[in-house]
Amino acid sequence: MNFSIVIKNLGMLLLCEAAAMLPSVFLAFYYQESTISAFLYAIIIAVFFGLLFYSLKVKENIIRYKEGFAIVTFGWIAVSLIGALPFIFSGVLPSFADAFFETVSGFTTTGATVITNVEIVPYSLLFWRSFTHWLGGMGILVLALAISPALGVGTFQILRAESPGPISTKLTPKLSNTAKILYTTYLIITLIEIILLNLGGMPLFDSVVNTFGTLGTGGFSIKNASIGAYNNVYFELVITIFMLLSGVNFSLYYLAFKQKSLWHFWQDKEFKVYLGIVAVYILVITLNLCGSVFNSFWESLRHASFQVVSIITTTGYATTNFDLWPDLSRMLLLSLMFIGACAGSTAGSMKVIRIYLIFKYVQREISSLIHPRAVRAVKIGEQSVQETVLSSVVAFAMLYFLLFIAATLLILTQGLDIISAISAVACTLGNVGPGLNTVGPAQTFAPVSDFAKYIFSLCMLMGRLELYTVISLLSPRFWQK
Amino acid sequence: MKTIIIGAGKVGYQLVESLLHENHDITVIDSSQDVIDKLNDNFDVLTLKGNGVSSQLLMQADCANADLLIAVTNSDEANIVSCITAKKLGTKSVIARVRNPEYVTELEFMQKNLEIEYIINPELAAAQEIMRLLLDSYNSYAVDFAKGRVRIIEVQIDSYSDLANRQIKDLDLPESIIIAAISRKGKVMIPNGFDFIYPKDNLYVLGERNSIDLFVRSLGVPIAHDNEKIRNVLIVGGSIIAFYLAKELEQVGVNVKIIEEKLERCRELAEGLNNTLVLHGDGTDIELLKTENIEKMDAFVAATGFDEENLLLTLLAKQLGAKKVIAKVSRSSYNSVIETIGIDNAVSPKLITARDILRLIRGGKIVSMSLLLGGQAEVLEIVPQEGAPIINRPLKDVGIPKGVIIGAIFRNDKIIIPKGHAVIGRNDRVVVFTLESDVDKVKKLFNPKRGGVPSHELFNSD
Repeated sequence: MNFSIVIKNLGMLLLCEAAAMLPSVFLAFYYQESTISAFLYAIIIAVFFGLLFYSLKVKENIIRYKEGFAIVTFGWIAVSLIGALPFIFSGVLPSFADAFFETVSGFTTTGATVITNVEIVPYSLLFWRSFTHWLGGMGILVLALAISPALGVGTFQILRAESPGPISTKLTPKLSNTAKILYTTYLIITLIEIILLNLGGMPLFDSVVNTFGTLGTGGFSIKNASIGAYNNVYFELVITIFMLLSGVNFSLYYLAFKQKSLWHFWQDKEFKVYLGIVAVYILVITLNLCGSVFNSFWESLRHASFQVVSIITTTGYATTNFDLWPDLSRMLLLSLMFIGACAGSTAGSMKVIRIYLIFKYVQREISSLIHPRAVRAVKIGEQSVQETVLSSVVAFAMLYFLLFIAATLLILTQGLDIISAISAVACTLGNVGPGLNTVGPAQTFAPVSDFAKYIFSLCMLMGRLELYTVISLLSPRFWQK
Repeated sequence: MKTIIIGAGKVGYQLVESLLHENHDITVIDSSQDVIDKLNDNFDVLTLKGNGVSSQLLMQADCANADLLIAVTNSDEANIVSCITAKKLGTKSVIARVRNPEYVTELEFMQKNLEIEYIINPELAAAQEIMRLLLDSYNSYAVDFAKGRVRIIEVQIDSYSDLANRQIKDLDLPESIIIAAISRKGKVMIPNGFDFIYPKDNLYVLGERNSIDLFVRSLGVPIAHDNEKIRNVLIVGGSIIAFYLAKELEQVGVNVKIIEEKLERCRELAEGLNNTLVLHGDGTDIELLKTENIEKMDAFVAATGFDEENLLLTLLAKQLGAKKVIAKVSRSSYNSVIETIGIDNAVSPKLITARDILRLIRGGKIVSMSLLLGGQAEVLEIVPQEGAPIINRPLKDVGIPKGVIIGAIFRNDKIIIPKGHAVIGRNDRVVVFTLESDVDKVKKLFNPKRGGVPSHELFNSD
């Protein structure tokens, strides 16, 4: 493997991260907070290593599969390590395991937290925490690709390793232009949400931070009771809509903008299935809640729709403690954690397209029992899917469940009950955030052991980078010459 | 520049590689998933899977806003239709590859009435290249620039050569020639005075033509005299190239023999050619070759469909006594081997096609060009544009990249081999040697700062 190009790219990434910490420095300065030195030290360290790595001489400027995987995996780990420094230096999370967990949870847009009372944390740190959501949502390396000059030949490997979904596509011939388009779209939607929240009366800081959490489908909140603390239907409505929008493949927005029509949305099978799942879940949970938890139908609909959208997009915001809901609703929410939203969105988990393909695949298997000689192609809409993609999707699902079981077993050794362990692994692997019981929406991950926190951090990283990218590095073959 | 390439076979792939160096936004359409995957792995291009004839797909490739479309699929007809469709949809310029000999007479009609700006025929171009090599007096690769006044020639160094194992600065070269590049084990490097020359290196020597001839002769490289003109040529393999080549050779009165394995094809060739002797037989059969007097042949051309067979055949012919041997080799992976095993010349239709298309795209300012070493390096003859950074300044102040050598300046019918203090003027023609990776920088040096060439100027070269 070509280590020099991997390290050079890591350097580039750390320099980008140092720049990303600057807004927090300004905030610390503005609010007169003591965290300013914590951020400055972190920036100095990031710049030091960044320049050191970046100045490395590269023999062959080509990124192949292996280098792509290594850049993305090590890049995310490096960025999380440096990103954890402000938490440690400021004394908010003095333990390394806690700070690392919190940062990984931020960058992977999980939104699981170990901070028990978030309302006393300095503004600059809250901003940084949520900003990691925003950066991690669209992908930190995609951002680096958008703003930096060409990092080497074969950067498509990076996009492929970082972007969610079974099939990666480009929108324009030049990858850097595609990255720019994606980030511009992202930025525009972000601004619209900030303005809408602010117009509705939410303070500017809150609007910005909550928007970062929404767009990145992260879910870090700056209130202990999450979005429920505002108890405002307008805010909930805006956030629900934007969570839903963040779960849509971002290239659809670009195509709609370019062709000045919304026809693409309707043509996109995954988009329709996604909306269908959301509608059915909202209906069933509303009916389940109505009468048992809330008295009015509208109250049930309000909380059910917010929660369903929040979980399927793997955001993890809460308007109410859904851990107190009936078991049927809790189980339904748990099942949503395995679905996730559309490929090419900022959401985590398995993605609607994979679930859809697996269903189609199973359907074909069943029909081939009845007509053993039938030759059928699995199709998404009118587009037939290659057999290699299909088998990789099935293998992905298999791997997902194997990892889920393995991680759950490891967590059970740490003294959590079975519901907490299952939901905690499901929500970290799927980048959702809050689980059930011990790690429910009204609780945090603070009480679990350090070992469990590292396991969860690994789950979050693997989940965000779609398993293969990280897993392939663990294979001995990867390191053979 | 926005470019669409339909079909990423050998030629298409080479084009993608070359055009990317010049910062094109490239969209490739191909019907094979394997090809698409390979492109995505190696290049920063947009790929679309499907049939390039489909107007829907062409629109998806945004051909309305494209500056150029190049159709190089296997099917002539598909290429033509793609070009016509794209043109109707708004693509500014289109190029089609048409290789079927039956269409050769149609080319002019197509260009005029179907508005296809340029039609390339790789086999015809390859035949013409072989023709040029045959009539050339050198045994190895040589190209002329600046109306034949400047020549670049490839010289192989053997272990008993005077130049071997010496530093370039100690060589005492004539003023008017320079060693532009050294190809060592298939890799090209631009040498400086302190580099050594080793046996088995291939030197690319550039300079004023007469001095080059003298220099080459002093090295003991044989140069044919005028009375040793090519009279007898044996071609093995009755491919399309062989057909075109035989046709051209017939016209200049050369005796041509073609050996072809398939009787059916032999008949076709015999029908299409007039004075050529078409033989039905196996080209690898030594007895047959001897019966046909291979040792008396002035030249031997291996043009079967298989690179490997061509390479071995030329070696065999050389051993049996043919004076000049040329092989048709399509795959560029073999380039590094060809140099070392002593085959005089290898002609690649793919490279020639890529070269022709590149020359067209680069437009009026480039007078002629040549791709060397499977596209690793190029020699260009350029007329600088008004306001270009390179003119009216001493060369040492221009900031010429490492991979670029300003080989010669052609001014008022005189050849100047420039040193650091030389100044290029507006009306000079400049012969530039450049590595592929620096082509884009050369372009910037010879063009004014803003923008590229307007596309209507694209097709008025020569």
